[in-house]
Amino acid sequence: MSARRAWPVLVLAALAAWPWVASRYFVFLASLVLVNVVVAIGLNLLSGYTNQLSFGHAGFLALGAYAAALVAIHAPAVPVVVTLLLAGAFTAAVGLAFGVPCLRLGGLYLSMATLAFGFVITEAILNLDTLTKGADGLRVPVLRLGGFGALGDTGRYYLTAVTAALMVAAAVNLVRTRTGRAFLAIRESEIAAQASGVPVAAYKTAAFGLSAFYTGVAGGLFAFVVGFLSPDAFDVFLSVDFVVMIVVGGLGSVPGSIIGAAVVTVLYDWLAAFQNYRPLIFGAILIACMLFMPGGIVLSYVGGPDMAAPLTWGPRHGPQTPNARRVPGNP
Amino acid sequence: MSAATIVHVVVSGLATGAIYALMALSLVIIYNATRTLNFAQGEMLMMSTFVAWSAQRALGLPLVLTLVVAILAGGALAWLVERAIIRRAIAGTHWDVLIITVGLSLILRAAAGLAWTHDEFPFPSFFPSAPLVVGPARVAPVSLGILGGSLALIRFTRLGRAMRAVAQNQRAARLMGISVERVYSTSWVLAGVVGAVAGVLVAPVVFLSSTMGLIVINGFTAAVIGGFGSMPGAVVGGMFLGVLENLAPLYLPSGIRYSVPFVVLVAVLVVRPAGLVGRVERRKV
Repeated sequence: MSARRAWPVLVLAALAAWPWVASRYFVFLASLVLVNVVVAIGLNLLSGYTNQLSFGHAGFLALGAYAAALVAIHAPAVPVVVTLLLAGAFTAAVGLAFGVPCLRLGGLYLSMATLAFGFVITEAILNLDTLTKGADGLRVPVLRLGGFGALGDTGRYYLTAVTAALMVAAAVNLVRTRTGRAFLAIRESEIAAQASGVPVAAYKTAAFGLSAFYTGVAGGLFAFVVGFLSPDAFDVFLSVDFVVMIVVGGLGSVPGSIIGAAVVTVLYDWLAAFQNYRPLIFGAILIACMLFMPGGIVLSYVGGPDMAAPLTWGPRHGPQTPNARRVPGNP
Repeated sequence: MSAATIVHVVVSGLATGAIYALMALSLVIIYNATRTLNFAQGEMLMMSTFVAWSAQRALGLPLVLTLVVAILAGGALAWLVERAIIRRAIAGTHWDVLIITVGLSLILRAAAGLAWTHDEFPFPSFFPSAPLVVGPARVAPVSLGILGGSLALIRFTRLGRAMRAVAQNQRAARLMGISVERVYSTSWVLAGVVGAVAGVLVAPVVFLSSTMGLIVINGFTAAVIGGFGSMPGAVVGGMFLGVLENLAPLYLPSGIRYSVPFVVLVAVLVVRPAGLVGRVERRKV
């Protein structure tokens, strides 16, 4: 078995064995990591692959989480798989309704519109308090799975792990298809992609919907794993954390999303005692990543196509001849 | 609703709008010279306001001197940030710099929290206890004066021409003997100064706190409404947003108030992406 094939098997085995070797808290933490892996892949499909940076993914996560929680409360008979799919589909629908007009915008504007979207979502959750209980927060009912009865931490962990594994597999396969190549072409140059016959608008829309779907499903998982939802958990800082994940892991890389989500989530938990220093450290990591390893952990240590020439440290003198990709304004 | 109420609301809206316009201006200055968005503008403004507030409390400075301290702090911080961080990424894409400034905003917010705690502090107003009408009558000229100054700087001076050249094509500008580094520094310092003024003006309204920087999102919205990159647009957008934000609660449920800027932002982006005053940007391939 080649190393390429061995990796997924090893990871799956480790995932399956985890609840037997780790304590209850670390099982919960692993569930959170897996939820964030799904979000990071969703965000990376949009930001890393088609170069549309979103600062509103906490909003999408909130949509998925509340959708799943409300389905679980008002229709307890619905199987959990359907609930998660509904959460994903609902988020994708809202994402598209919001995203389609915004896709006419250039990159910078889209980022700001998504930031605005995040604010509107939390505001809406606060104001629709008959449905969402507003600022009091919403208690998510215990998850019941067919013949297993109520699921404990381990059960929820396995649900999350299986869902995450499926979504990772789907993403890995997607980026190897025509669609994935179209996404990458759009990232490298929208104009060149258009000129080569890639329907840019359609693929950007698809990336937006797909990203929202991933994040919505992750939101559903989040609701069940955490068990309690309140709008202030989904603030803009969470969106920024998601951006940190994909930047640290590697933009435009599925393994990068996984590594980034794991590193950031574990670090976040690890630094819980230093709550006030946490943003300081995350900010420093973000800047250091952009300056010293623009491809993230994956490109720096694992290898891959050399997409981004590293920025050199130190003052620059005289005319530079930087990599053409990095200076879009140049003829 | 009486006409007097509406006039009052509109006028106080213009006062807020003038502050938004300044924030928009500080974003636009950096954008115009370097084609990047400074996500940390709000946090920079918050830091300079905190420094000014500390100086004012420690030394009992009059408000005018407090403003001077804020301006000095804002300029110094911007210079430091540009020299220490942004310059390292001078050849980076907009995305690289945007993400770097996101990191910077996290760092500055945490640093302010460590230095001054995350509590809210009242900030003395320049226009205490006077009827609201007096406020805008003075805020607006400050805003317009700064706008006129910046506009003249960009349009008529050598420095302004260099800034525009760097924005258009960094490499060509460098070949023409323009120091791209100096243009970066200058535009950052300029934006820091304008932001510092906005910070001192807005602090009495929203309270001084480490999360005060989020108010600059309204400044961004204002800039987009006017047409991002256009300086008159920044002012038109700021005023428009300020008035709208103050009028909305009269007609809409109160919970919606804070969503208004964002709804307007998305609406403007969809209907008229170039903004009210801005021109459509064309890029040669």
